[in-house]
Amino acid sequence: MKISYNWLSQYINISDRIEEVADRLTMAGIEVEAIHRLGNIPEGIVVGEILERNPHPDADKLSVCRVNSGSEELQIVCGAPNCDAGKKVPLATIGTVFVDPESGKEFPIKKCKLRGVESYGMLCSGKELGLDDDHSGLMELDANLEIGTPMDKVIKNDVMFELEITSNRPDWLSHLGIARDLVPLTGNELKFPEISLPEPNVQSEFSEGLVEIKDYDLCPRYTGRVIRNVKVKESPAWLKERLVSIGLRPINNIVDITNFVLMELGQPLHAFDMNLLSGKKIIVRRAENGEKIMTLDGDEHELKTDYLVIADAEKPVALAGVMGGEHSGVTEETVDVLLESAYFKASNVRHTSKALGISSDSSYRFERGVDWKMVETASDRATALILELAGGELATDLVDVKQSDPEIKTLKCRFAKIKGLIGADISNDEIVDIFKKLELNPSEIDNEKCVITVPSFRLDIEREADLAEEVARIHGLDKIPVIPVDAKSVAEFAKDAYFEQEKLMDELIALGFVECVNYTLTDKDSALKDSRFTESDLVQLENPISIDQAFLRPSLFSGMLQNVTHNISRQNTDLALFELGRVFCANEKLYPEERYECCIALTGRKNPERFSAELDEVCDFYDLKGMLESLFETRRVNDARFSAYEDGRFEKGVCAEITVDGKSIGAMGQVASKFTKGMRIKHPLYMAIINADPLLNRKTGKIFYQAISQFPSTSRDVAFVADKSLEHQQVLDFIGNSNLKNLEKVELFDIFEDEKTLGAGRKSMAYSLTFRNAERTLTDKEVNAAHEKLRSRLASELNVELR
Amino acid sequence: MSNPIVEKLNSALLSAEEKLKNSPSDADIEAVRIEFLGRKGLIPALSKDMKDLAPEHKPEAGKALNEAKNKLAELLEAAKGGSSEKSAGFIDVTLPGRKRKIGKSHPITKVINDCVAIFRRMGFIVAEGPEIDTVYNNFDALNTPDDHPSRDHQDTFYFSDGRLLRTQTSPVQIRTMEAQEPPVRIVAPGRCFRRDTPDATHSMNFHQIEGLYIDKDVSMADLKSILLAFAHELFGSSVGIRLRPHFFPFTEPSVECDFSCIMCEGKGCRICKNSGWLEIAGAGMVDPNVLKIVGYDPEIWSGYAFGMGIERIAMIRYRINDIRLLYENDVRFLKQF
Repeated sequence: MKISYNWLSQYINISDRIEEVADRLTMAGIEVEAIHRLGNIPEGIVVGEILERNPHPDADKLSVCRVNSGSEELQIVCGAPNCDAGKKVPLATIGTVFVDPESGKEFPIKKCKLRGVESYGMLCSGKELGLDDDHSGLMELDANLEIGTPMDKVIKNDVMFELEITSNRPDWLSHLGIARDLVPLTGNELKFPEISLPEPNVQSEFSEGLVEIKDYDLCPRYTGRVIRNVKVKESPAWLKERLVSIGLRPINNIVDITNFVLMELGQPLHAFDMNLLSGKKIIVRRAENGEKIMTLDGDEHELKTDYLVIADAEKPVALAGVMGGEHSGVTEETVDVLLESAYFKASNVRHTSKALGISSDSSYRFERGVDWKMVETASDRATALILELAGGELATDLVDVKQSDPEIKTLKCRFAKIKGLIGADISNDEIVDIFKKLELNPSEIDNEKCVITVPSFRLDIEREADLAEEVARIHGLDKIPVIPVDAKSVAEFAKDAYFEQEKLMDELIALGFVECVNYTLTDKDSALKDSRFTESDLVQLENPISIDQAFLRPSLFSGMLQNVTHNISRQNTDLALFELGRVFCANEKLYPEERYECCIALTGRKNPERFSAELDEVCDFYDLKGMLESLFETRRVNDARFSAYEDGRFEKGVCAEITVDGKSIGAMGQVASKFTKGMRIKHPLYMAIINADPLLNRKTGKIFYQAISQFPSTSRDVAFVADKSLEHQQVLDFIGNSNLKNLEKVELFDIFEDEKTLGAGRKSMAYSLTFRNAERTLTDKEVNAAHEKLRSRLASELNVELR
Repeated sequence: MSNPIVEKLNSALLSAEEKLKNSPSDADIEAVRIEFLGRKGLIPALSKDMKDLAPEHKPEAGKALNEAKNKLAELLEAAKGGSSEKSAGFIDVTLPGRKRKIGKSHPITKVINDCVAIFRRMGFIVAEGPEIDTVYNNFDALNTPDDHPSRDHQDTFYFSDGRLLRTQTSPVQIRTMEAQEPPVRIVAPGRCFRRDTPDATHSMNFHQIEGLYIDKDVSMADLKSILLAFAHELFGSSVGIRLRPHFFPFTEPSVECDFSCIMCEGKGCRICKNSGWLEIAGAGMVDPNVLKIVGYDPEIWSGYAFGMGIERIAMIRYRINDIRLLYENDVRFLKQF
């Protein structure tokens, strides 16, 4: 909301130090978002009149104007679209010096040539004068201004504050509302405008059945008042100045008065042309389905029964609380005016405004809530101004239709509770004083409590906590003491939900992976790059911003592919990346809705900082596998197994499924060439995509120390020729299942293929077996026996040829 | 009678000693080794001669042979040691080593971890909740009016079953309080979503960290003190804070917490829009309605809650001017933190 300093000063004495006022407002909860200084108009700018407009001979967008500056006629080249003859606009004459408020740089206006045509000055937009942000065309001035008047006489010095008003305080949406809150902060009194109305000359033709409310649930109160024989004309300078100071455009005296009172008191008003109302009456009712109205902005709207309209005897003439109709408003022909001041239900105004896409100063206030009592006061204030500025006579009393006034809220306030919540030592007297100055009417005051009678403009006060906020705010949040930090622990650390995640990430980082963070929302094609999913498995938004961000990622695969693509395209060729993030699935059979996934990518050279042959070493399948094995070891996942697997994400034959406790937790391998084709990637790309939940929620039992054997170990080798398809894991499992006594470990130390000596499709494998006993030195005899037992079983049961 | 083998050994040792004097070259040492210990050298030859020796001389000769072998080995070793003092060869120590790859946390994670560490020190533990949550947890239970604009389809992502992508980490407050009795002292970092058109400062998903403390006699002074302590830990003890009144449906009184600008130290600059302050956190005393909804008696329990944007802190801390850089994952960017 915009407020003017000069205008605000009408209702309360405030400091003339603008920064101090802004600071005070901000610290009271009325955040000043911007301060605009009005009227710092450089000398030399005058009211000019465009006499003639001709096209520029060499530039389509420029015009050559003849402009009367009051003292002479000047030729000026202008680029604005609205430099039409007959308009009065600000004219910067030669010698005017503009100063850029940010840089302090000076821009003097000089005689110059624009595309070959001489120009003797500049016509100005509102932005160039620092008055607003409108740079779309020249600022159009009042046609009655005398040509040659210096602009600093036309625009008075003022300051406009742009305020952010929180939704709980609609009472701040007016100059008076802001002034009222400054009473306790400044200690100064509120100067409410004096309103005096003459006795009306009641004309029965108007007051009988002038207003009828059909839907009290949406409009609990509606007042109307008729003023006859007004003269619609331009507003006086003071009124126009007020409106212009907060960026409103003056229209005519009647409309200007309704806008002025809206911005002064916060109550939206509307003026109808009485003679355009069929039946000369107002009916407040729900619209009929299919009814139409053309609003003031020239748009036609089709209505529904859940919108409230103001209708005459035949048709809707306004959208209640939102906008007036095009054909019932005040024009220069209007003589009799019906002034509306009403109380509409907030949620219905919001609904209508949103459904029809119309927002106005009026709907903005109604949908937040207006002051029940102000309905009448605002009508009085506007009526008095109309009689003063437009003449005419009052033809009715206030026709005030309502069922009943709302209940007056009272509230008990315990001083101890307030102080306890704030944590500051504030005296009871100060609390009571704050309440008094905020018009909260404290009564029944004793040592423990008082009773608050909530004024009609304070819609936000319902509980003691709300009163605590008022006390804290006015007392000053800066005066709340800083006390020693209470670092009490109320739950055991074992319940910390982030600890394992943090550790897992640290472990991945220790292995050399750089963490990535990708967006959750993605498009369908990207989501389905991970071939485990079909469209029906995807979690889809009902209201995405665009179809490119309509789905929740089912896996981290495509995000990681994108990260690799991005880096490769920027010549970052050696990559070790990971992401730990949540993924989403609509198919319970795959995984339940939301879980953590871990995605790892590895590509490029192993030793990019080395040289010669070492420089050419490139990461392969076993580099990634080894890193995973290290990770599992750190995580104490001792039973992870890798087995050959086929998966659309990976190249056939270079892919493994990873299982823990016999359950699949993910897969790894060389990313299929269809995904890397477009990347211009030089080296194979390896990825692992793992369900992170088993890594995060792993329950490691207690750890007990095991004695370290003090006796030497004995080794034996076993070598054999086998079919090429025999897997290392099969051999390990076979040896493991052979129950060899004292076998400590089995290590593969050689593997080779040679068609000549071994035959086609054959390979040689050699293992080293280490035997050790915890309590004694093993004898050759017993080791040899175990060795022999294994050799014979290998030959007979695994069907290999011993060497 | 003298022992011929012993005599030969003695003179051989003298000869070897002589030859290995005066820093012999590696080749000289090798020649000596071959002469005495080589396959056709003196020692193996004398060993063979043992069989022809008189039986009474054999034990003495055998012992002498062993001693001579050891002595020669010692002499050779000593001579070699002398030569290694010269040089074991040349290596260029300035050539690059085989570096282990260095991993890095993403700046968002770094900020989360730092915040979590600070709050853990102050007695908080981390709580979590899902990113897909209910309207009840995200809005209703947080005392958000039915017609509050934040519930709009304009601002919040919904699913056809009526649930939503959480717009804040605050639903974790509700989940935690509904699952346990007070006191509660948690922080909840996490990902949130708003229907914002992406630009330099907006992203459809972003991260927040939320704090909640419910106990007996918790006051705004506690809140202010914890926020100040946090500011000091995160940005250093020269940073000040100020609280401004504000409005949130789930706290009353509500405040916004500004940190004095870390760029200009409060003097006013472009980053703080000349105000000297940076808006960092929203906070307040938990609204009695929220306490009632989760079944806590507001006459007994009170507490504070606060929340702040992780990306905003990361952008201020590392002077990152475009939020989208955080989601691009260029390793040249990521390796800087």
